[in-house]
Amino acid sequence: MPRATVSNATRPAEIVVVENVVKRFGAFTALNDVTLKVDKGEKIVLCGPSGSGKSTLIRCINHIEKHDAGRIIVDGVELTNRIADINSVRCEVGMVFQSFNLFPHLTVAENCMLAPIRVRGISQSEARDRALGLLRKVRIQDQAGKYPAQLSGGQQQRVAIARALCMQPKIMLFDEPTSALDPEMVKEVLETMVELAKEGMTMVCVTHEMGFAREVADRVVFMDRGSIIEEAEPETFFKAPRTERAKAFLNQIIH
Amino acid sequence: MNALDFSIVAQSWPYLWSGLLFSLSLTAAAFAIGMILGTCLALAQHFEIPVVAQIIRGYVAIIRSIPLILVLFWFFFLVPIVLGHLSGNGRPIPIGATYTAFITFGLFEAAYYSEIIRVGLRAVNKGQFEACQALALSTYDTYRHIVLPQVLRVASPIILSQTIILFQDTSLVYVLSLTDLLGAASKLAQLNGRLVEMYLVIAVAYLVISSATSQCVAILRKRYAVAAAR
Repeated sequence: MPRATVSNATRPAEIVVVENVVKRFGAFTALNDVTLKVDKGEKIVLCGPSGSGKSTLIRCINHIEKHDAGRIIVDGVELTNRIADINSVRCEVGMVFQSFNLFPHLTVAENCMLAPIRVRGISQSEARDRALGLLRKVRIQDQAGKYPAQLSGGQQQRVAIARALCMQPKIMLFDEPTSALDPEMVKEVLETMVELAKEGMTMVCVTHEMGFAREVADRVVFMDRGSIIEEAEPETFFKAPRTERAKAFLNQIIH
Repeated sequence: MNALDFSIVAQSWPYLWSGLLFSLSLTAAAFAIGMILGTCLALAQHFEIPVVAQIIRGYVAIIRSIPLILVLFWFFFLVPIVLGHLSGNGRPIPIGATYTAFITFGLFEAAYYSEIIRVGLRAVNKGQFEACQALALSTYDTYRHIVLPQVLRVASPIILSQTIILFQDTSLVYVLSLTDLLGAASKLAQLNGRLVEMYLVIAVAYLVISSATSQCVAILRKRYAVAAAR
């Protein structure tokens, strides 16, 4: 259900609500009155030039960055300074980073098992079954006993996706998941993400992979200088961007 | 000069052995106290706990700028006087040479280990903390399962070097009239007039133990090279 404009009324399907959010780093305003609503099952691609605030926005959604003003409500829980609220949101929100951020001293399986055991409180054997199941899903089950450094970049990123999924999140955030990869490994990570999208996962992805955006996004959200400038269905956005800034951006990334 | 005669070493073996055991147990105790306390000191600084962090910084700075032998003297002579004052009757309460040695070495090493761990904590990639946050891990779990294991792995060569220095420094307990390996050898050497043989033999003992420990460092490094390379 792509929408060109977002209404202010809260509807039950909305799982992420970002309202008038402001985030400053010293004198620099990274997010300037940003409002974004994401429906359950919706796939959103965030794009924009570097420094436009897209990474900051998704990092606010799981409170890795603390917003200075406005409201963020995830799955009915508003993010305030309460640790309990923050942690309950983080349990429902999986995140995949540009630089993978796997735990180098733990095996692939252990990377996937730690948080479900320590945070969700499930047993060792259940965590192992879940981890192996999800590692199979990202086609990397043979590597379960290896350490991250023994894997290729693409494999590491797929482990990172599996690790996030092991928490059984309702929403997945992707922060430029393919930007640190060698070109030949981009595809395997994108395929995993497409598969996840087809299963109905709610996804917010910061990416410049326009093929991916075309294939799975319900909406493309274009940001510049801390504000959302334009949002539209992928076809509309790529073929007929309304703003000059979006046109300029698309020209740059296509060439 | 007479020919070297190592029979003295064979005869006095039990005494040397007890000296060596003392050196090793002092090293082990100071290592354990130093690492546990040092980790706590480093974490308190890392979390920048108000006041506490400043006090610890001062403590570490003082300890690291005075010789261990001076700390041993202070502890041996001053602490009994302070304890005496605190107890009210004003008479010094001796704590004994052995306790002095164990406590002083533990506190002294804690300052050095804490610096190693503090630097190690700073070296942990920011992304590791963010991954822990994203997974909703508690601060305790983050440090217990993710941060400290990485710090200890990265810092293990430096920690072991410091421990080798500690082992050699245990010979300073002679100022407290305690008998460690060097102390035992000195006494025997004076008694029998076999200085050269004695000092040669214990030099070999120190060499063997220290280089064996260095080998451990190399093995550890190899073992964790896979996990550390990233």
